[in-house]
Amino acid sequence: MSDGTIRARGLCKSFGAKVALEPCDLDIEAGRVTGLLGPNGSGKSTLMRLLVGLVRPDAGSASVAGVALAGDGLAVRRRCAYAPGEIGMYGELRGHEHLDWFLRGRERESRARARALAESFELPLRRRVHTYSHGMKRQLMFAAALAPRVPVRILDEPSEGLDPQKRSTMIQLLQEDAARGTTVLLSSHHLGEVDRVCATYVFLSGGRKISTERAEDVARRARRLVRATFGPEVRLAELAARLRTGRASVRGELLIAELDSDDPRPFLAELASLDGIGAPRTLDYGQASLSDLYRGLYGVEEAC
Amino acid sequence: MGRALHSTFWRAAGYFLVLELMLVPAVLYFPEFQKHANSLKAMAPIPVLRSVIDTLEQGGVFAYVTGQHFFKGCNTLGTAAAVLLACGAIAGEVHRGTFEIFLARALSRRRILTERWLEGAAAVCIPVVLSTLTIPWLCSLVGHSVAYWPLLLCAVQQCAVLLAVYGVTFFLSTRARAPMGIAFAMLFFTVFQFAVYLVERITHFSLFRLTDVERFLYIQRENGFELWALLPPVGITLVTFVASLMSFERRTP
Repeated sequence: MSDGTIRARGLCKSFGAKVALEPCDLDIEAGRVTGLLGPNGSGKSTLMRLLVGLVRPDAGSASVAGVALAGDGLAVRRRCAYAPGEIGMYGELRGHEHLDWFLRGRERESRARARALAESFELPLRRRVHTYSHGMKRQLMFAAALAPRVPVRILDEPSEGLDPQKRSTMIQLLQEDAARGTTVLLSSHHLGEVDRVCATYVFLSGGRKISTERAEDVARRARRLVRATFGPEVRLAELAARLRTGRASVRGELLIAELDSDDPRPFLAELASLDGIGAPRTLDYGQASLSDLYRGLYGVEEAC
Repeated sequence: MGRALHSTFWRAAGYFLVLELMLVPAVLYFPEFQKHANSLKAMAPIPVLRSVIDTLEQGGVFAYVTGQHFFKGCNTLGTAAAVLLACGAIAGEVHRGTFEIFLARALSRRRILTERWLEGAAAVCIPVVLSTLTIPWLCSLVGHSVAYWPLLLCAVQQCAVLLAVYGVTFFLSTRARAPMGIAFAMLFFTVFQFAVYLVERITHFSLFRLTDVERFLYIQRENGFELWALLPPVGITLVTFVASLMSFERRTP
C-alpha cells in the first residue's frame, strides 16, 4: 500500500476565544496503529477533524497518506477513511442504505465489503437505523470506515458503547488491517484496548500535545517499575526518601520506584536492608502499563 | 434513490397534489366567476382586491387561471414549500447531529451543497411546471382554451421568484444551527410582503408584484418577460447560491 504516513506541523485551531488545539506537530509512521489519548476536551476530536479537512486550521500544515491538506480536504478524505466520534445517523434509512450513503464517492466494492463486515457483526441491515441501539450504530459506522481500501483510517472513539466481545472483535479487525499495511489513528477512552492494539501513543491535554510514546518504550519502562504496599506502620514518604536505588515516589498507599536498569535485585536488596520496614504486603514488578503512564500524565485512571 | 432525493420526491409529490387540488375547483368555477364577478367586486373589502378582480374579469380565462394558480396557489403554497425545503437543508443536519457524517464522506463540499441545492430547487419548481401543464386540459372542461407556451413562460417567472425565496432561505440555512428560526423568519417575511401588496400606496414595494396577474398578462401579450421583473429574482438566486457555497465551505461540524 502507498505512503500511509500522517504528518502535521504547527497545526492549530481556536473557536473564538477557546483554543481547541495549540500548534501541534505530529509524525505517524505508516502501517502502525497509533492511539490518541487524553481526557475529554483535550483536543483529540479537533485534531482528527483537522486531519481530514472537516475543520480548517488557523495555521500550520498537514499531510495524510502523502497528500497535503488543502481546501475542503477532499483529496485527503479520498485516501483516508474517517469515522466521527458523534454518531448522528439518518434513522429513516435502513442499515444497508446507510452504508451505501456513507460510502458514496468510494470504490463500488467498498459497499459490498461494508455489508459483509456489518453482517459479520450480526447487524440487521434490513432494519431502519432508528431501531438500532447505540452500539449497533457504532458498529455500522465502523463497518463503513473499515470497508474502503485506503492507506489511512482515522477513527474517533470507534469502540465507544460496544460490549467487551464486540470491542475485542474490533481490535482484532484493526490489527489485521494494520498488518496489511494500513495506518490507523484512533482515539479511545479504553486504555486496555489501546494497550492491546496501538504501537504508539500520542497524549493530549488541554489542546496541547504533551507526549508521544512508543509501546515498546512503555513496556521497557514497565520492566523498570516496582510497586509495593506496606503495613500502616510504615511511613512511605520517609521510606521513599531513604531509598537510594532508582527514583521512589509515593502515590496513596503505594510506593513506586522507577529503577535505573532492568534488574530489580539491587533495589530489593536495599529494601530488605532497611531497618524497621519489614516485608512488603504486596510487591509487583514489570506489571506497569499504559494506565500507569496515563495516571502519571493526567493524575486520573482513565479519560472517561 | 438517494436519501435526500427520496424525501424531496415525496415532498414535491405532496406539494404538486395540493397545488392541483387548489387548481381543479378554481378552474371548474370559472363560469360561475364570470357570472358573479360584479357581486364579488362589490364584496371585496379593499381597493387592491377590487382592482385584482377587475383585472381578472377583463383579462378573461388566462388572467383568471394565472391569478388562481400562480398568484394565489404558488405564491402562498409555493413560498411555504420553498422556505420549508430550504430551511432544513443544512441547518437541519446540524440540528439533528448528522452534519459531521454529512461532511465526512469522500465528496467535495461544493458537490454536497450543489446536489442539496438542486434537489430542493427541483422540488420547488417541478410541481409548479407540472401543475401548470394541466391547466389547458382543465380549461377545456369548462369550454375554454389556453395556450401552453404563455403559461409555461408564466411558470418560469413564478419559479424565478420562488427560487429567490428558496435561495435566501438556503443561504440562511448554511449559517444557522436550527431550521425553525429561519422558517419562522422567512414565513413572517413573506406574509409581511403579502400584506404590503394589499396596501394600495405601497403595493409596488411588494415581492408579489413580480408574480401578480398584471405581470402574467404582460407575458401573454408580449410572449416574453419583463426584464425588470425577471432579472432581480434570478440575480438574487445566483448571488445567494454563490454565498451559500462560500458559507458552506467554511462551516465547521
